[in-house]
Amino acid sequence: MEKRATFSNLWLAAALIAPQMLLIFVFFYWPSGEALYWAVTLEPPFGGDNEWVGLLNFQTVFEDPKYWNSVRISITFAFFATALSLGVAAVLALFVDRRLPGHQIYKFTFFLPYALAAPAVGLAFRFIFSPDAGFVSAINRLYPDLWNPALDGYDAFALIVMAQAWTMVGYNFIFFLAALQSIPRTVNEASAIDGAGVLRRMWDIQLPLIAPTLFFLIVINITDSFVNSFGIVDITTAGGPARATDLMVYKIYVDGFQGKDYSLAAAQSIVLMVLIVVLTFIQFRYIERRVHYS
Amino acid sequence: MIERTPILDFMTHVLLVVSFVALLMPMWIVFVAATHDFHTVNQVPMPLMPGSHLFENLAAAWERGNFGRVMVNSLTVALGVTGGKIVIAALSAFSIVYFRYRLRMLMFWLIFITLMLPLEVRIVPTYAVAADALRPFQGMLDFAGFSIDLPEWNLLNSYSGLILPLIATATGTFLYRQFFLTVPDELTEAAKMDGAGPVRFFLEVLMPLSKTNMAALATIMFVWSWNQYLWPLLVVTDHQNYATATMQLQKIVPGPLFGEPPVWNVAMAANLIVMFPPVLVTILLQRWFVRGLIQTDK
Amino acid sequence: MKRVILLAAASALATGAHAADRTKFEFWYGLTGDLGEVMAKHCQLFNESQDKYEAVCVGQGGYDKAEQNTIAAYRAKQHPTIVQIYDAGTVNFMLSGAIYPANKFAVDYGIDIDWKGYFPSIANYYATSTGEMWSFPYNSSSAVFYWNKDAWAKIGKSAAPASWSEFAEDLKAMKAAGVECGFAFDFDTWMNLEQFSATNNLPIASMDNGYGGLGAELVFNKTAFVDHMKDFKAWLDAGYARIQTAQVGKNLVQSFADGSCASTITSIANHGTVHNTQVAGLNWDVAMMPVIDPAKRTNSLVGGASLWVMEGKSKEEYEAAAAFLKYVTAPDTGEKYIAENTGYIPVTTKGYELLKAEGFYADPKRANRDIAIASLTASDVTPVSRGIRLGNFTSIRAEIRAELEAAFTGQKDMQVAIDAAVERGNQILRRYEQTFKGAALP
Repeated sequence: MEKRATFSNLWLAAALIAPQMLLIFVFFYWPSGEALYWAVTLEPPFGGDNEWVGLLNFQTVFEDPKYWNSVRISITFAFFATALSLGVAAVLALFVDRRLPGHQIYKFTFFLPYALAAPAVGLAFRFIFSPDAGFVSAINRLYPDLWNPALDGYDAFALIVMAQAWTMVGYNFIFFLAALQSIPRTVNEASAIDGAGVLRRMWDIQLPLIAPTLFFLIVINITDSFVNSFGIVDITTAGGPARATDLMVYKIYVDGFQGKDYSLAAAQSIVLMVLIVVLTFIQFRYIERRVHYS
Repeated sequence: MIERTPILDFMTHVLLVVSFVALLMPMWIVFVAATHDFHTVNQVPMPLMPGSHLFENLAAAWERGNFGRVMVNSLTVALGVTGGKIVIAALSAFSIVYFRYRLRMLMFWLIFITLMLPLEVRIVPTYAVAADALRPFQGMLDFAGFSIDLPEWNLLNSYSGLILPLIATATGTFLYRQFFLTVPDELTEAAKMDGAGPVRFFLEVLMPLSKTNMAALATIMFVWSWNQYLWPLLVVTDHQNYATATMQLQKIVPGPLFGEPPVWNVAMAANLIVMFPPVLVTILLQRWFVRGLIQTDK
Repeated sequence: MKRVILLAAASALATGAHAADRTKFEFWYGLTGDLGEVMAKHCQLFNESQDKYEAVCVGQGGYDKAEQNTIAAYRAKQHPTIVQIYDAGTVNFMLSGAIYPANKFAVDYGIDIDWKGYFPSIANYYATSTGEMWSFPYNSSSAVFYWNKDAWAKIGKSAAPASWSEFAEDLKAMKAAGVECGFAFDFDTWMNLEQFSATNNLPIASMDNGYGGLGAELVFNKTAFVDHMKDFKAWLDAGYARIQTAQVGKNLVQSFADGSCASTITSIANHGTVHNTQVAGLNWDVAMMPVIDPAKRTNSLVGGASLWVMEGKSKEEYEAAAAFLKYVTAPDTGEKYIAENTGYIPVTTKGYELLKAEGFYADPKRANRDIAIASLTASDVTPVSRGIRLGNFTSIRAEIRAELEAAFTGQKDMQVAIDAAVERGNQILRRYEQTFKGAALP
């Protein structure tokens, strides 16, 4: 995406971007570089002699059939969680933006899920989705064993998708709403005068106009469901049952953060990063093409 | 209202109310859990109607979490992160979108990649940087063969240690980029015709246009930084002076340990307390969500 | 507002001035929630008990975070003087080179500790292969059998089953007598594999469960553990037993405390939780875990955490740390405090005698809580009941759990699943061995 009208003071450009680059260099790239270097060594937890092992860690990762299972699950998870939370959030934002009586209440309540701290999310979800005790128990009484995330891998997978989507709905909603709010009122009105109905206007006018935000959210949501979902897995399913919810990032968390196998975690992190970069690149390449900016 | 659409309006209300219930149900459970005593909250199933112990749970949580003190810390950190991020992200996005230089896509991707590696994975070396923020530069000097010793700049147990690393992520830059790209070129051209330089254009044209996006970003960033706990746990050992609210919450919440009595009632009351400022901020920032401020001729 | 800040500043100054002449040191702990409060209080009591030293106690928000943060801090030379590390972290700390071994520390800083006073199964768990204790046992527990007396009364019995075969018959009889759920279990390896193997003197890994060196290999796919799990599966299929995890809505403790399941096996530390959360009138007791042959019962394993002294601190800090360790491990100010405020058990004979003499276990709320001590001391410690010393045991546990889940959900045959767990576990052990190449397990 190029701007036609740009400025040419390169020193200023450099000065503007410098603080950000400095911060990410110190707090992200330098430490990440150190951590990722461990991928080609065997790093003892407390430091000391680490042995150069070349690609051994990657070999270990790739030769493990369970790892490929984890890759498959992660991609499916990212797809479903993103689609669900974006779909719900977009619909909600469009309807709240109609400004019917009462929309003020929704404006900030739909955001609340995002404000809830992780431990509370865990408690709430366990309660709602537990087959013995929660709301779902009523369904289970009618159809026994229809829902049991402790034993059924698909149920557990559905549970983490819903949990992730639920926390992200508030986030997406806010940005969608902000984008809708910055569409000039006149655009919508002009279209209404042309005889387009409310739903048609949403589809034909509003959605295309917020496409840049939609694209932003797609990228952020997919990345987030790859990178930050281990908290959800940890408090709801712990990767089970039988690895049905063993996301790549959760494996990294278990191997590295809990198991202290820093080298294996580093190798997996690199694989994960490459995967996300490729996915993101594809999105910029193919989806962003269809986004009309100004 | 442009036209009358009674059926659609009714459906809209139905949809919004259903979503309201679905999205808020977990919140309701948190609230209900905070209103019961220890015994009731541990019954299975937990009751769905609130009990009468809300205030004593809140009081217990307030005292255990030392919230009077830590809320101030959290507020400082969250405002610092939010403010810092809004400014830094706007500047860097401005640089990437409005200037034409060869490295700008590289810069953008460098910023973007920071979203892709969670703190848990790089926690050990990141701690080392927090213990001495000049360490990367020292490392580069050493690598280049200079034997210059930089002083240590220890960020542990300080507000800068809590704030700076959290500013160093990409969300804001990306959002501003997306927004700046939608700003019509005509505005830039007009500004240039008027003789406005980049700084004036940024301050007088771009920033006022970004208001709603900024409000959204501020809301998200405030809540996001407010809810961080892994980083504060690492950087702060002086809990007396620098503990944040979410850290305290983590302490009260029972972990999956053997023999941990599940004090969910107090933990959820603490959660209500911790949630209050973000919710308040959200409500306040909603005022900026005013439609139609931009009058562009598309 | 201004006044509040001024007040806070003033009080900070006041405590600062007061604390200035004390030697400070840091202690990091992993316990959270109520137990974290108990820890913080223990520090406070120590600080109030004398005026020379001050323990700055920092909760790390979980056992795994405490270990992780200590490692990170150690590498940046910002580590605490003492840290609480859970059982699974023991081997990492032994190999770390970052610690001051407890036995040496006690000699150097004059802590008079009767090492023989610790219950042997506790001492052995935290000791090196040559029997030297490198950390101070602190909060300790073991697994016991929780049983509902009324359910057993329905089949005319008034004692807990002593053997697994007797338990199987009881389950069948209880089902016939209308007990919906006779036994609640989950996939936690601590009870199902580790305690089962210890109490029946079965090996989990070669080389004395890893005490003999880093070359150990898992062997539990060739022991009675496989049949034990097959029994569990049969009970599950017959409707005698149920899987109870947090994901189902009720964990083991909850399903026992609300009376829906007649028995379970879990930590003694849950004794208080069951009391505090049980439905009214639940008539229950604890007993030792059933074993295969009651005549040959061996000791169960300790769980919980111990205190490690880290290296690289000043003499003054170590003196302060020594005073602290003396205080928190003493029978009256240490063991008794922990036992009174948590479900954990005393770790030395002296501490146990003291509690008994004071009538601690006479309180009906704590009745029979010392069954855990009986279980820990059921026999002399054998080479395989002394403990488990395996590298990256956290990940091995996760592998076992995943395979057990596959077997219990019918995706795999039990033997196939356990073979797979052993194979994958061995790969983890080989990686660990290679990472610590050249290091010898003490």
